[in-house]
Amino acid sequence: MGMPAGLSGAMLMGERAALNGFAVPGVVSAGGGCRLYTTRDGHVALTLARDDDRAMLPALFQDGELDPDDDAQIVTAFRACSADALVVQGRMLGLAIARMGEVPVSPPCQVTADGAAKVRTGPLLVVDLSALWAGPLAAHLIGLTGAQVVKVESRNRPDRMREGDPALFARINQDKANVAPDLRDRADREALIALIRRADVVIEAARPRALWQLGIDADALVRAVPGLVWMTITGHGATGEAGDWIGFGDDASVAGGVSDALRTASGRIGFGGDACADPLTGIHAARLALERVRNGRAARMILSMSAIVAMALDSERRRNEKALMTDLQAWGAAQGQAFPATAVRPAGRVAAMGQNNAIWLARC
Amino acid sequence: MKPGTKLKSAMCDTEVMVIRSGAGTIECGGAAMGEAKPDAIGTPAPDLAAGTLMGKRYVDAAGTFELLCVKPGKGSLSVDGVALSIKDAKPLPASD
Repeated sequence: MGMPAGLSGAMLMGERAALNGFAVPGVVSAGGGCRLYTTRDGHVALTLARDDDRAMLPALFQDGELDPDDDAQIVTAFRACSADALVVQGRMLGLAIARMGEVPVSPPCQVTADGAAKVRTGPLLVVDLSALWAGPLAAHLIGLTGAQVVKVESRNRPDRMREGDPALFARINQDKANVAPDLRDRADREALIALIRRADVVIEAARPRALWQLGIDADALVRAVPGLVWMTITGHGATGEAGDWIGFGDDASVAGGVSDALRTASGRIGFGGDACADPLTGIHAARLALERVRNGRAARMILSMSAIVAMALDSERRRNEKALMTDLQAWGAAQGQAFPATAVRPAGRVAAMGQNNAIWLARC
Repeated sequence: MKPGTKLKSAMCDTEVMVIRSGAGTIECGGAAMGEAKPDAIGTPAPDLAAGTLMGKRYVDAAGTFELLCVKPGKGSLSVDGVALSIKDAKPLPASD
């Protein structure tokens, strides 16, 4: 299965950097939300992208005196701690944190439920419950094959990339219908479940407990709705404790080994791309979902961003290790310079939040 | 109570991580929570058994206390007898 016309893997991997004029990152990620810190015994990546992530830092370092807005104090606090202990504590606190040298705990894709086949007629219906980059990109790529995509944004917790990065938002959410239910409202939740039951593909990136707490049982829906292909995108998989960990593109790339490979090749500490885990996972999710749709049977597939990165890196190593090392050496030497140029496509048509509620969220 | 301290319930399975705290006793199911594993688990009174939810943050009205549930249980969280309430989930970042 090839890329849709006009797109390439390299272009999708570099699309955000090209649109925003990013530089090749060193210890601060290209987008600026994640940073690699030196600890007593290794390097840790921590993303502080959400408004109150910093409020968790005194608890991360078990230090009530720490000023969480003082970056110099944070750097000092990291130097005094052990990488492993910080990652354990940080994940318990719900922070997006990873260390160099860790091995992803989950497989790239795990099927947790399956169900009956469906005979499909007409275009696919994709219900996209995800936000940010990986999930919306997956839904968009499936949309380019002719599917109807409906993006669902919680009225109370919208996809903030709409204002945070409007240029990328307009590429990966173009031509999607948009519905905005109030997930605190029972009737809206029921209308959403009715929409999901009509879908061929569902894409979401919620932690299992978040869906559960909304009354959405993905495995039960997959068993009940013939042909429903349900893609769950996670940072680190969904089994055991890892199901409660979160991951964003740059820290998940560190967990997947990109920064280790960069250090091996170039001797430098840094990020090996712009949030590689996001576009890699989006591309992989679209491919797996389309393969499964052809097979016909319903399935719940849980993807791990960190494991997908590790898999991609491993596949490059096996394809041509020398070329990979040469690329990484050049990448390390280019820290601070402009990102390698990739083609940029025009922005598409973007629906306003809730623009298509009347069509897709009709009450029964 | 130092931020980052993990506290266990004496009444149920609940465990919380202290994010912020002030003067006062942190309780679950009506009994003080402690760092050590309790010898025996009691039963929360029916009016103190609303339960705790994994990953949710609990705060007092003044915002002095904030506890993160790292293991759910049957008891309700309180400080000096005053119930804590659930804090909204963190908004998503504007980009990642």
